[in-house]
Amino acid sequence: MATTCTPSASLSRQVTAGCDENAYKCYQCKKCTSGCPVARYADMHPAMIMRAVQLGQYDMIFDDRFIWLCTGCETCTTRCPQGIDIATIMDELKIMARAQGRIPAGTPSAAMLKLNYDSFVRWGRMWEVELITLDVLKRPTSVKNWLTLGPKMLLKGKINPTLKRGDTLAMKRMVQTAESITKAREAQNAGGQS
Amino acid sequence: MTKTLAYYPGCSLHGTSGEFDASFKATARALDLVLQEIPGWECCGNTAAHSINRLLSVALPVNELAKVEQDMKLDAVAVPCAACYSRFKTGAHEVEESEETAADVRAVVGRAYNGGVAVDNLIDVYHDAVGLEALDAKVIKPFAGLKVACYYGCLLTRPPKVTLADDPEYPVHMDEVCETLGCEAVDWNYKTDCCGAALALTEQGIVDDLVGRILTDAKACGAQAVVVSCPLCQVNLDGRQVEIAKKDPGWEGIPVVFLSQLVGRALGIDDKTLGLKKHLVDIMAVMA
Repeated sequence: MATTCTPSASLSRQVTAGCDENAYKCYQCKKCTSGCPVARYADMHPAMIMRAVQLGQYDMIFDDRFIWLCTGCETCTTRCPQGIDIATIMDELKIMARAQGRIPAGTPSAAMLKLNYDSFVRWGRMWEVELITLDVLKRPTSVKNWLTLGPKMLLKGKINPTLKRGDTLAMKRMVQTAESITKAREAQNAGGQS
Repeated sequence: MTKTLAYYPGCSLHGTSGEFDASFKATARALDLVLQEIPGWECCGNTAAHSINRLLSVALPVNELAKVEQDMKLDAVAVPCAACYSRFKTGAHEVEESEETAADVRAVVGRAYNGGVAVDNLIDVYHDAVGLEALDAKVIKPFAGLKVACYYGCLLTRPPKVTLADDPEYPVHMDEVCETLGCEAVDWNYKTDCCGAALALTEQGIVDDLVGRILTDAKACGAQAVVVSCPLCQVNLDGRQVEIAKKDPGWEGIPVVFLSQLVGRALGIDDKTLGLKKHLVDIMAVMA
């Protein structure tokens, strides 16, 4: 089946502005896809994502769950003969999808990443027990996963329920500064494009 | 000769992987290394920060490196968790590569980091900071040819532009450490394949597939145990076997041990200190 699309350079420009990687270097050898541990579990795969970035096909990327399955294993980045940091492009696409409110249904990993982020921002360190509790509250079906492994891990003394804080004031200061610098850069980039 | 290293345990070693922390510290003591934990350390940002706020993901580890360099005045930090190690190496790499990033990071951290700290993962500590000869001299209870599959996973070697690993597709340093302990490190296919990492929290079916393939190959290549150097790899490879066994009733469990536990056993450290009973698949048979 032949498919057609109207190419646009805007997505590729946004990716480059965000992470300084050039998707146009990709020539579709598919080494990234061959080595990708999660390519088989989504409709898209790394080489398709790269082509969709080149052609500005936002919907193909943001309607699929692939980017949210990417574990950041860095195999694609390591093997790309063009030296493209593909894993970093996946991160950039996750940042864009979140900013644009384009996280599709059936991607619990997206919410989990945010729970994880909020946890270490709040306490200075990531608190595993908090992550699991908030995940179960938000997504009650996940309780069955914890019921199989959780009690066994508790019995073995693998789960440490106590909260250990980092330097929470220093963390708060760094997060605020990083977020404001990032916002200023985004505004700068948006201004440069219009 | 005593050597002093800064120590960054990270969240997992103070959480689900207490035995990794305890066994690493015990082996360091036995090998004449002094570990000084970074005071008031923060989370390195883990997998979440680099997919939510890129600048913060670089600034968090660089802030720790600046503490080691300027407050502790040490020139090396031991980071046993593979994920934390990767964030530390990436942070140092990014500020070195880009003046713009370095300036932004300086604003977030509140001071400059001058690049004076070497970042050692667990394998680096035994293989290079201690050295194979010195390690060999301290082995008092060698293994009698236990066959092990050394599992490096993703972030100890990738991406090589950051880790500077000798051979990111087929690393051997962990194998060399294990052989120094009297083990036989087998050749196998899945040394650097991904275990699914944090997908274990949300996509258990995928992780069961990936872990099943890794462990099946380790067994097919003759391994009696898998050796790891990452808390998440350990939890996944060990813990998911509970589910894999439900789907495949003929499944025979394979022990998944931390490299620090293997080293500790060969150095004659007791089982309790090494946390050998904390695993879901029993490891005592291979560690006896």
